[in-house]
Amino acid sequence: MYKLSATELKELFSKGEISAKEIAQNTLKRIEKFDPEVGAFLHVHKDRMLQKAESLDKKKQSGEKLGSLAGVPIAIKDNIHINGTITTCGSKFLSNYKAVFDSTVCRLLEEEDALLIGKTNLDEFAMGSSTENSAYQKTRNPWDLACTPGGSSGGSSAAVAARFCPISFGSDTGGSIRQPASFTGIVGFKPTYGRVSRYGLVAFASSLDQIGPFSTTVTDTALVMQVISKGCDRDSTSIHAKTPDYLAALSPSLKDFTIGVPWHFLEQLNEDAKQNFLASVEVYKQLGAKIVDVDLDILSHSIAVYYVLATAEASTNLARFDGVRYGVRSPKATNLEELYDLSRQDGFGAEVKNRILLGTYVLSSGFKDAYYKKAQQVRALMIQKFKDAFLKCNLVMLPTAPFPAFKLGAIQDPLQMYLQDVYTIAANLVGAPAISIPSGFSSNNMPLGLQLIGPQMHDKEVLSAAYAYEQATGYGKKIPAHFDKEAL
Amino acid sequence: MTDIQYDLWQPVIGLEVHVQLNTKSKLFSCAPNRFGDEPNTNITDVCTGQPGTLPVLNKEAVRKAVQFGLAIKADVAHFSKFDRKSYFYPDSPRNFQITQFDQPIILGGMIVAEVGGQMKTFPVNRAHLEDDAGMLKHFSTFAGVDYNRAGVPLLEVVSEPCMHTPKEAVAYAMALKAIMEYLDASDCNMEEGSLRFDANISVRLKSEKTLRNKIEIKNMNSFSNMEMALESEIRRQIRLYTQNPHEDINNIIHKGTYRFDPEKKETVLMRQKEDAEDYRYFPEPDLVPIVLTSAYIEEIRKDLPELPHDRFKRYTEELSLPASAAATLINDRQMCLYFERALKTCSNAKNLCNWLVVEFTGRIKESGKTLDQVGIKAEHVGNLVNMIDQGTITGKIAKSVADDMVANPGKDCKDIVKENPDYQPLQDTSSIEALIDQVLSENAQSIADYKAGKTKAFAYLIGQVMKLCKGAASPAMVNEILTKKLQ
Repeated sequence: MYKLSATELKELFSKGEISAKEIAQNTLKRIEKFDPEVGAFLHVHKDRMLQKAESLDKKKQSGEKLGSLAGVPIAIKDNIHINGTITTCGSKFLSNYKAVFDSTVCRLLEEEDALLIGKTNLDEFAMGSSTENSAYQKTRNPWDLACTPGGSSGGSSAAVAARFCPISFGSDTGGSIRQPASFTGIVGFKPTYGRVSRYGLVAFASSLDQIGPFSTTVTDTALVMQVISKGCDRDSTSIHAKTPDYLAALSPSLKDFTIGVPWHFLEQLNEDAKQNFLASVEVYKQLGAKIVDVDLDILSHSIAVYYVLATAEASTNLARFDGVRYGVRSPKATNLEELYDLSRQDGFGAEVKNRILLGTYVLSSGFKDAYYKKAQQVRALMIQKFKDAFLKCNLVMLPTAPFPAFKLGAIQDPLQMYLQDVYTIAANLVGAPAISIPSGFSSNNMPLGLQLIGPQMHDKEVLSAAYAYEQATGYGKKIPAHFDKEAL
Repeated sequence: MTDIQYDLWQPVIGLEVHVQLNTKSKLFSCAPNRFGDEPNTNITDVCTGQPGTLPVLNKEAVRKAVQFGLAIKADVAHFSKFDRKSYFYPDSPRNFQITQFDQPIILGGMIVAEVGGQMKTFPVNRAHLEDDAGMLKHFSTFAGVDYNRAGVPLLEVVSEPCMHTPKEAVAYAMALKAIMEYLDASDCNMEEGSLRFDANISVRLKSEKTLRNKIEIKNMNSFSNMEMALESEIRRQIRLYTQNPHEDINNIIHKGTYRFDPEKKETVLMRQKEDAEDYRYFPEPDLVPIVLTSAYIEEIRKDLPELPHDRFKRYTEELSLPASAAATLINDRQMCLYFERALKTCSNAKNLCNWLVVEFTGRIKESGKTLDQVGIKAEHVGNLVNMIDQGTITGKIAKSVADDMVANPGKDCKDIVKENPDYQPLQDTSSIEALIDQVLSENAQSIADYKAGKTKAFAYLIGQVMKLCKGAASPAMVNEILTKKLQ
C-alpha cells in the first residue's frame, strides 16, 4: 500500500478493495515501525484516525457519495489547527495548547473524507530551513538519516518521502514547502498567495505564509488543490474565485509554452546543481517548450528583503504569546513584567528570539524607514520585475535550493542557513505560485529539485508544466531504499 | 505671591474622542458588541487572540464611519488601510491594536457647535477606525481580564487644536455626540464608556504664535467633569508659568498623561512621557485596504438623516425657535424626536418647545426618565398646547393638567379636562361679568387709579378676577369685558 499515490489509494478504496480501517491501520503501523528512525511526527492521532476510518467505512456501506479524498491518509504540519488536538508549532511555549477550531484546510480535507493522521515536526513557528529549530525532536531525511529533510516543513516532507502517507501539508513563508520537497525527492507546491485560506494556520509572516501540499505525484497535488482552493470568509486575504479544474489541465505536451530562465542570476550555482538544472532545461526543450533568458537580477536582494519583512510581521504575530491567555506561563513570574519576560524567555527558542529581535528592530522609530520601508519598496520593485518577466514567458524556472540536503548540525551560522532560501523566497514576496519537483540526484545520491514559478493565479499552468516534466522523467517514482518495504 | 493675570493667556485645546460604534458585532469578529454581560461571554477565538485566527472587517462599522465623515463634511478616503500598533498589556489580546495610522478613512471636516448663543465651526483633523481593548478587573489577590469589550469598533475623532475655552470644548463634544446620535452610529453612553473624551491642552501668552508643551487628560466621563478638568488644568498651567518667570518654558510643563479627580476637582498625573512611546506601526498584513467607490459613498450620502446642524437651522429659521431652545432640544436626541412627533398634532412649535423643554422636562426630571419612558404620548402634549391656543383652557389650568398627565401617563389631556369640572373654562359672558362686578365693587381705589391713568391698576384688576375664578376664565375675555365696564 505504501507505494500507492493518493489517486490510486482512493481508487482502491472506492472499489472496495481496501477498507478505510485497513488504510488507517496500515498507515499507523508503518509510522509506528519506521518513524522512530525518521522523527516526522510530533503527534499521531491514532484513535481519532481509526474512528474517522470506521465512520468512513459505514458511509461507504450506506451508499452515500464519497468525497474526492476518500480514504487518503494525510499528515498535517503542527502549525495548522485540527480542532481539539494539540498544536505546538514546534515550540515549548505551546506544548499545552489545544486548538479550539479547525483550520479551513483541515475542514475542507475532512469534508472530502480524507483521513488526518496527526501533526508533523517543524522548525519552531516555521522559522528555519532544516527542522532543527524544533523544540521537540530532530527529523531525519529518509534518503540519508544523517541529513536534514529540509525545513521548516521537514516533518511533512519526511513523512511523504518515507511513504508514511501519500499526502501531507506544510506552510511556505520563504520556501518551507519547496526546499524540503527538493531535499526529500517529492513534489511540494506553494499556491498563489490567497488561493488557500490561512485561517487556522498559526501565522509566522502573514503577507508571505501560504499552506500547500506535499505529494509523490503532480496529479495528487492537483487532486488536493482542487479541494483546498476555496475562498474563505474568515481570511480577508483569501481569493474568492472559482476553483479551476487543476486535474483536467494536466497535459504531457508543452506546445506554445515559453519558460524564462534568469541565467545571469544562476552563474554562481555549484557544479552538481548546475548540471542538474541544465539537464532539466533540456527536458523542457524536448517537450517543445521555448527557453528564453529573463532579467531577474533583483533576486539577489530577496534574502535581505525577506528577513526584514518576515521578521517585522513575525515580531508582532508572536506578540500574543505572552502567558496571559494560553500557552505556558512561567511559574517564576511574580508580576506582570516578569510574566511577559520569563514566559517568553523560557518558551521561545534561540532562532525565534533572533527573529523577534530583528523584527522589532527594523520597525523601531528611527530605523523603520531604512529597513522596513526600504524593503517594502524593493518588494514592490520585485513584483514589477516578475511582471515584466512574465510578459516574455509563461513560467520562470529556477533550482529549488542551491544544494542537496546537508547533514544535521552542519550549518550553525544562521546567516548561512538563510542562504538556503535564495531561490524560493521571491515567490513568497511576489505572491506567486511555485512548485518543486524531483529533478534527479546529486553525485552523492541525494535528491534535487526543480522549481517552476508562475504569475499569480496561474497555479494551473505551474502544475501542468510540472506534470509534463514528471511524465517525461519519472524521478519522483524512486523511493528511499531503507523505506521501500512493508512494515511487518 | 505673584499676582496671576489669567486673561493674558490663551488656552489651546484639542479633543480625541473615542466613539464606540453600535454595530451588532465587533470590528473584526462576529462576537456580539454588547455592554454589561457576564465577563468573557461575548467573545470568539478572534477576541482572545487565539493563534491561527484572522481579523475580518465589519462592513457596518465602515458604513457608520463614512456616515460620520459625510455628516461633518470631511473627505472620505477612497483608499485607507489598517496598521498594527504594538504594545504589551493584558487587555490587548494580540498585544497589538489594529488601528489606522497614516491613511485614515476620514480626513478633515468640521463640527459646528453653539457656544454662548453663537455658532462656531471647529475643524476636525481626522477620524479613524480601530478596535477597543478588553478591561482589567482587579480583585484582592489577583487580576482578571474581561475581553467582552475587546474588538468593539471605535471611531476615534481627532480635532485640530482649535478650542480656546472649556466651554468651547464642551460645546464641540456635545455637538459631536449629537451627530453620532442622529446618525444612530453610537449609543453615546458616557457612563458605559461608549463615548470617551481625552483632551490635549496647553496655554500660551495671547501674543505668542507657537504652541507650548501640552499635557493629556484622559477619560473625562461627563461634560461637567470635562469642563471642570479643563478649567483647573488651564489655571494650573498659567499659575506655573507665572510663578516661574525665569525658568525655560520647556521645563515648566512636562508632557504627561493626567486624569481628573472629581473629588479634589483637579488633574492628577498618571504617567510622565519621557519619550514618545514607540508603537512600531506598520500595515496590518492580515487585512486588505478599505477601497470605497464614489457610488458607495454617494449612496450613503443620499441616505443621511437630517443632521443636528441642519435641524438647528430649520428650527430657528422655519419654526422660529429661539437659538438656545433649539440647541437644548437638538442636543437631546430623544426629546427632539419626541418634539417632532408632537409637531404632527400641533403647529405652534414655539409653545410646544417651551412646554417640552421647560414644563414637562421639569416635571419628570426627578425620575431620570425620558417622556417616552414615563409613558406620556407626544400627541397628548401637542393636544395640550392646542387647547391653550384655542382658548379651551387657560395657561394656568394647563399647568394643572400637565401635573395630571404626569400622574396618569398615557391619559389624553382632552379626557383629563373633560372629566374635571375645575378645568372647565368659564365661557359665558354673564358669569364673567358677575365676577368682574364683584371685583370692581371691592376695589374702588383701583378704579380711581385707572381713571387717573395708572395702567398698573388695570393689570391688578385682571389679576383679581383671575384669582377669583381660579384661572378658569379666558384672560382675553376678562380683558375685553373689563375694558368695556371701566369705560
